[in-house]
Amino acid sequence: MNGSFVLRRLLQVVPTVAGIVLVGFLLIHLAPGDPILALAGEHGDAEYYAFMRHRFGLDESVPRQLATYVGRVASGDFGFSYVHGRSTSSLIMERVPATLLLTVTALLLAVLVGIPLGAIAAQRPHAARDIGISGVALGLYSTPVFWVGQLTILVLALALGMLPVQGMTTAGSALTGGAHVLDVLRHLALPALVLATQELAVLVRLTRSNLIDELSRDHVRTARAKGATERTVLLRHALPRALLPVITIIGARAGHLIAGAVIVEVVFGWPGMGRLLLASLQTRDTPVLLGLFIVVSLAVVSVNLLTDLVYAAIDPRVRLR
Amino acid sequence: MLLPLLLAGGGSCADERARRGERTLVAAIGGDPGHLNPAITTNGGVHYAAGLLYNGLLTLDSALAPRPELAERWDVEEGGALYRFHLRRDVRWHDGNSFTAADVKFTFDEMLLKFHARTRASLGAALLRVDAPDDSTVVFRFRRPYAPLLQQLDVVEAPILPKHVFAGSDPLRNPANRAPIGTGPFRFVSYGTNGEIRYAANHEYFRGRPALDAVVLRVIPDPGTQVIALEAGEVDWLFSVPGPERERLRRDPRFRLIQTTVNPGGSNCITTVGFNLDRAWFRDVRVRRAIAFALDRQQFLERVSFGEGRVADAPISSRIGFAYAAGLPVPAFDTVRATQLLEAAGWRRIGDGVRTAHGVPRIADGTPFVISFSALPGQSNYGDLLRAQLHGVGIDLRIRTLEQAVFSQAVFTARDFDTAVASYCNGTDPEIGVRRQYVSSSIAPVPFSNMAGYRNAVMDSLFDRAGSALAVDERCRLYRAIQEIAVRDQPYVWLVETINTRAHTVRCHGFGTSSHFAATAQCTR
Repeated sequence: MNGSFVLRRLLQVVPTVAGIVLVGFLLIHLAPGDPILALAGEHGDAEYYAFMRHRFGLDESVPRQLATYVGRVASGDFGFSYVHGRSTSSLIMERVPATLLLTVTALLLAVLVGIPLGAIAAQRPHAARDIGISGVALGLYSTPVFWVGQLTILVLALALGMLPVQGMTTAGSALTGGAHVLDVLRHLALPALVLATQELAVLVRLTRSNLIDELSRDHVRTARAKGATERTVLLRHALPRALLPVITIIGARAGHLIAGAVIVEVVFGWPGMGRLLLASLQTRDTPVLLGLFIVVSLAVVSVNLLTDLVYAAIDPRVRLR
Repeated sequence: MLLPLLLAGGGSCADERARRGERTLVAAIGGDPGHLNPAITTNGGVHYAAGLLYNGLLTLDSALAPRPELAERWDVEEGGALYRFHLRRDVRWHDGNSFTAADVKFTFDEMLLKFHARTRASLGAALLRVDAPDDSTVVFRFRRPYAPLLQQLDVVEAPILPKHVFAGSDPLRNPANRAPIGTGPFRFVSYGTNGEIRYAANHEYFRGRPALDAVVLRVIPDPGTQVIALEAGEVDWLFSVPGPERERLRRDPRFRLIQTTVNPGGSNCITTVGFNLDRAWFRDVRVRRAIAFALDRQQFLERVSFGEGRVADAPISSRIGFAYAAGLPVPAFDTVRATQLLEAAGWRRIGDGVRTAHGVPRIADGTPFVISFSALPGQSNYGDLLRAQLHGVGIDLRIRTLEQAVFSQAVFTARDFDTAVASYCNGTDPEIGVRRQYVSSSIAPVPFSNMAGYRNAVMDSLFDRAGSALAVDERCRLYRAIQEIAVRDQPYVWLVETINTRAHTVRCHGFGTSSHFAATAQCTR
């Protein structure tokens, strides 16, 4: 892989994150709502709120607060959470594994199920199974995540009693080893499934349309004329080319996936970053919010970089310069 | 692929219960409290989560009368300007150290009077100092007689924390806030990153060992998911049940509901509509009274509160028995009276349209009666009904739904509102939760202060006298006078005294309504 390309893309991350910090900081401060009121609770007197504001440095001007914050972030200190009373970085890092587990599982589900389904549908366009698969995909694509979530809980968890409805582990359990892994997997099943639905629907539709397009091309006709089996035609000649734009879309939708994770984590009580994001937004916990913005934007930028690299590796026509 | 394995390895809810132990109670909480130090905040989430770990000097029984807890008895001296508490000598902190009067003095001086907004605001202003003359005596000395002290010493208003853990540290950042040491019926075990806080029974608890072995607090942010988790057998206890779900749970034999007006975030709450008296529309008391007459409060009770609670018929909650005044001339639903008052105030109506001003002071003739109504997301349904009822008398209400942080700022800091709805929790004494709503010194950029911006020197002095009068008869008389003036001036409309619904599985019973809800609970099967 071309080293200077990677380096150049990595350097682009710096202004991107700086921009996100700046815009995020200003947006939070321009938005109505005062963190002190959320932090200190009701019933205080004006003197008390002034005292608390001073303690947290919120009585200083916005440019000054920004300068302090940027200086700290540059030295790797993401500040102190108003609500949790401890370091923002440890607070966020604790939540990263849960969100990573949820989003990666959902993505794998979407890819492993979505692409084959798309391919099956594309083999005989407008046949019964294509209409079935495309119809379901369209339905899933147009349904909001929170509704799918509630419905799945009602049917799979409550009516059938098959899977737990909330959390990442059984409450109060002291399981270890394999039993613990199985417990987490059972809790993971519903939220990952729900988070996967929309991505899955996108991948089905995209794979199907690209593959139909690809199957009508000259090189496919040539391959068939040479006597290649339908299986070889599909797997060797058509699918790899049809998947190129699919890879781009998977990368481009990383942001969607994380946004979906916020809703899914709240509905399923999944202890990840998304739940922390919503809670911090409601309490105007600025250091935590900004820390999350940085982590999420880094994740999205990295996924995009990774997509470019994978793309180049798969498609010899793309030469990275 | 994985699914069959997961389902096979899963098993039923009964298995889950066996896994976590029969005598473990799992309670749902709405958010991660962040820390477990209730002495440095009035945030309800922290108090719900941490109450079981601590004690107050006193506790309040179901009739809100003070009962001994860390203090076994007390004397009131110097006409109510000095309170002397005699502490139990058999109390130990969860780490084995002895509890003494020095802990009480330290907690008040370094935490409660600095960081607990309510205690700081109410007690701090009147208190001269707290002394600990010996290990088992604490003396509170006031500038002038102070009546409500005994109502303000329970674990919600004044939890006691250990001096030996906090001395010399910044209480807001002490690591013990997340690994707390208390004296309460349960001791801290873990604060998991998986959204779970675990407590174990304090076998040395001075009021007797709890029947439960453990309590697990589970963070479930969505109220709907909380109810489903209860139905699925994953949790045993909910601190609150959304209105639409209550009837379903009540009919289900697997669950029991408990109703209470006591809450760690504030007790005895009245949902109240406030008029911004700085706005020209509401300067005229006839307009305020007209709106009060136009509202059918019974409908608010039935449609918005799902019939739970009661119509508010006085400015002070009927739960504060000595202060509540019965039989006040609070406007009852009467659109004819409302119409007469509006006409008399210069608001005329043609047909069934919106009223317009004719000779109303400080308002241009022809101005339509269009006002805004600010509400929190959970209370915007009050706005829908209010809008419908006021439409009937020719007033057009525009609803603004604002999230908590924005609501507090818009209504109390910027005073940018016409009318707004708020739940005013009266607490256990009018000094705690009613005074702030009426006295002029409480017109301040502070949430749930004097929303109306109501000023009345007579009212101010009556509150001062009621706060320092010690005899209940005297206080009763003064609070009645206060409520008569409030009804006459109508800076607010008092809609509904709300009630909270908790829910639990039938396998557990014996719950209390206070912060120590699980101290007396038992779970079987």
